[in-house]
Amino acid sequence: MAAAANEPQSVILTINDIEIEVPRGELIVESVKRIGLEIPIFCYHSRMKPVGMCRMCLVDVGFKQPDGSVRMMPKPQAGCTLPADNNMVVYTDTEKVRRDRKGVLEFLLINHPLDCPICDRGGECPLQNNTIFYGPSTTRYVEIKRHLPKAFPLSKYVTLDLERCIQCGRCVRFTEEISGDSQLAFRFRGAMMQPSTFELTDFESRFSGNVIEICPVGALTSAEYRFRARPWDLQTKPSICLECSNGCNTWFDYRVASLVRINGRTNEAVNEEWTCDKGKFGQNYLNSPDRLTEVFVRDGDKLIESNWATAFQQVSVAFQSAGSKCAALVGGKASNEDIFMLKRLFTEAFGSNNLDHRWTRCLPKSDALYRVATSIADFENEPVIFVFGNNIAEEQPILFLRIRKAWFRNDAKVIVACPEACEADTFAHTSLRYRPGTEAVLLGAIHRAATGAGGVDIAEASSITGVGEEAIRRAADAMKSGFALAASRSLLDLRNGEHVVGALSNLTIACNSSEKYNLFATSANEEGARQIEFMPSAEGKNTREILEACASGEMKALWLLECDPLSLSHDNELVTKALETVEFLVVQNHIKSECVQFASVLLPACAFSEKDGTYTNLERRVQRIKPIIAAKGSAKPAWKSFGELLLRMKGDPPPFHAHEVMQLIAASHQKFQSAIYENLEGEGVVIPANQSTEPQAVDVEYTAMEVPSNTP
Amino acid sequence: MITEVGKDVVLPILKGFLLTGKRLFRDKSTVMYPEQKRESYPRTRWRHVLARYENGLEKCIGCSLCAGACPARCIYVEAAENTNEERYSPGERYAMRYEINMLRCIFCGFCQEACPTGAIVLRSDFELADYQREDFVYTKEMLLEPMPVQSER
Ligand code: SF4
Ligand code: SF4
Ligand code: SF4
Ligand code: FES
Repeated sequence: MAAAANEPQSVILTINDIEIEVPRGELIVESVKRIGLEIPIFCYHSRMKPVGMCRMCLVDVGFKQPDGSVRMMPKPQAGCTLPADNNMVVYTDTEKVRRDRKGVLEFLLINHPLDCPICDRGGECPLQNNTIFYGPSTTRYVEIKRHLPKAFPLSKYVTLDLERCIQCGRCVRFTEEISGDSQLAFRFRGAMMQPSTFELTDFESRFSGNVIEICPVGALTSAEYRFRARPWDLQTKPSICLECSNGCNTWFDYRVASLVRINGRTNEAVNEEWTCDKGKFGQNYLNSPDRLTEVFVRDGDKLIESNWATAFQQVSVAFQSAGSKCAALVGGKASNEDIFMLKRLFTEAFGSNNLDHRWTRCLPKSDALYRVATSIADFENEPVIFVFGNNIAEEQPILFLRIRKAWFRNDAKVIVACPEACEADTFAHTSLRYRPGTEAVLLGAIHRAATGAGGVDIAEASSITGVGEEAIRRAADAMKSGFALAASRSLLDLRNGEHVVGALSNLTIACNSSEKYNLFATSANEEGARQIEFMPSAEGKNTREILEACASGEMKALWLLECDPLSLSHDNELVTKALETVEFLVVQNHIKSECVQFASVLLPACAFSEKDGTYTNLERRVQRIKPIIAAKGSAKPAWKSFGELLLRMKGDPPPFHAHEVMQLIAASHQKFQSAIYENLEGEGVVIPANQSTEPQAVDVEYTAMEVPSNTP
Repeated sequence: MITEVGKDVVLPILKGFLLTGKRLFRDKSTVMYPEQKRESYPRTRWRHVLARYENGLEKCIGCSLCAGACPARCIYVEAAENTNEERYSPGERYAMRYEINMLRCIFCGFCQEACPTGAIVLRSDFELADYQREDFVYTKEMLLEPMPVQSER
């Protein structure tokens, strides 16, 4: 059987007298799930190495002898460390096992404070659940319990209650195996053993929120969620995170129509089950008093509260008189539907093509440079990965976790080039710390070292970039037979961004890896805006030209959707001038941003938790969000307002539901055809990349840039 | 004919009067409410009270277990953290807001049963009528027992 040779070998074992076939080496705790059973666990976590610390998973194990009898092992075995094997006989529910479980729980509870009523974990606590199902119903322990500090702040997000800890080691292992920052470790031994940071410094991690979720008791709790609700007070709906371009899946827990906490939701293709702290703790703006909830129109120096009809009236007059001298810019939190309807409004009603979603300094025309070819999950199996540019752990934290996993699990060689110290350095095969501004030179040198031609002289590059020759050669050696590139579009913010990205593209072509070239989006729906082509066509103006035209007074009207140019653009002077000068400025946002002061009309938009729609993450995965809480004030989803305006100006029937907008998108953009709403349940849908011709090498100046000391 | 009328009509009437007459001299089982109130049974379940300890601290720790147990979903608890300067209850947690919607309450006493500290108790005050719907949402201030009078030594 040739096919079977590739498959993992399987073994046959008996669990509770049921014979099943499982892959060799699968842990018993996983095997029992195949027949619908469950072994109680504390320390075991399917994404981390088993350690057998808590003994909750004890099962009775024996082996079939050649004569057909079964010889049981004298002692119970830990199901979470025991791999399945042929002839194995496992019993998960014998009298002995039940007694052992009771014993283990009794031991764990000796030192547990049992302050469940005030514990934030109460109600969703594995220790409570296991005790109810498998534990003793009374206690025999009458002595005084261990007393330790309560509510010790490990960091501004995580609170540690040492009394409640059952020393399962999940948190410690998470920081070692998953996040890689090794912030937590056990101190002391025996009953006094406690997880803590080294010398009790702050628990500094980008992923600290996850330990709150994986701690099987209430020892690690969220400082923000502390005492805000009990699990049964909460309502929970699936959502996605918009804090970066990864599009992590989350659970949105709310109470009395306001967000209480965010938890990770499993999506194997995106975030597995993790979230970063930005996503978990950074969504409080939803409840902020700065939310924009009413329509405002300008009256002299003041913005006065108004209504949609008045605003629409003013907007249509202003934009009609502006003719094609109007423009629209969007930020990263607008949904596919919003972006598409805004594009329709501009192209169909206003006859303008001055549309852009990009905020970087360089805005290359070539679509090829913006390619993304590798999916997040694929990174796990890449043997060589080249992480170039800014700190990936900050820009794409969840992608960073995948790349780290590729190294941790599959020994991938990760070459990290970053101008500053970054988390990825800790596992880098080679780490290239170049001087800011010398990106192109470094890439030129790697190019020369890998191919023996082109690029720049290595010795010279070494002195310019500050990276040792040896390191450049080592990196090039690893990369020359192919690599996957992980770089982000923030590189285009460099003065010579176009050249740097061109150099990256040339390097991938030279190393036969052009199908693994990835220049990732940095904000939630940047990729969506790109796929919907919210960009100037031939005669249209791009972001920079739009701002310049506004500043010179040539552009008459500007529409800002979900963006604050003052924080997005590198050139604040130009932005301020543009916003001051342009005659009519529409600001449509879910929150009051700084540019509100310049607005002629201020339109409230729904935040992601209040509307229906889809977002496209960095790997072009289209994911659905559903309205969770009611829109605030008179805010409405942006796409709805564009539909209404189109109706007013052109008499087009407006779409009533977001899925109708998606159908319109699919009708005008082929690749969205798989992303209609019926297909979006579950993991979402990855839409195909643009059909592009074989990428061509581009002309690149491999020179360094002066970097003013105040910009990185 | 006459005998029949006497037997079927007059006799029962007389019997009825006789019974009433006899009862006139017994103790009355009705009371002159509201001037007079009947003593209630010790386990009567009427208006809730949030109890205090003898030292004046609130017993309620804001755990929401009562809200979870309530079949009518009429309790709302919002907890907050005690500080040493501002202490409402012993321990870390207290109820910052505690509301019961008396219109929805079915006086089942599950809340009392669920409460780990004996804070919420149903006592015997049954005069709960009011004019406005809003007034039936009893707040923490209305439910809390008055501060115990410090006994003189
Ligand atoms: S704090 Fe929680 S996760 Fe960490 S060892 Fe203790 S019980 Fe386990
Ligand atoms: S008595 Fe019953 S219905 Fe009334 S508040 Fe308590 S649990 Fe709810
Ligand atoms: S009354 Fe009792 S059950 Fe309800 S929140 Fe207070 S302590 Fe908890
Ligand atoms: S789950 Fe097996 S020892 Fe903890």
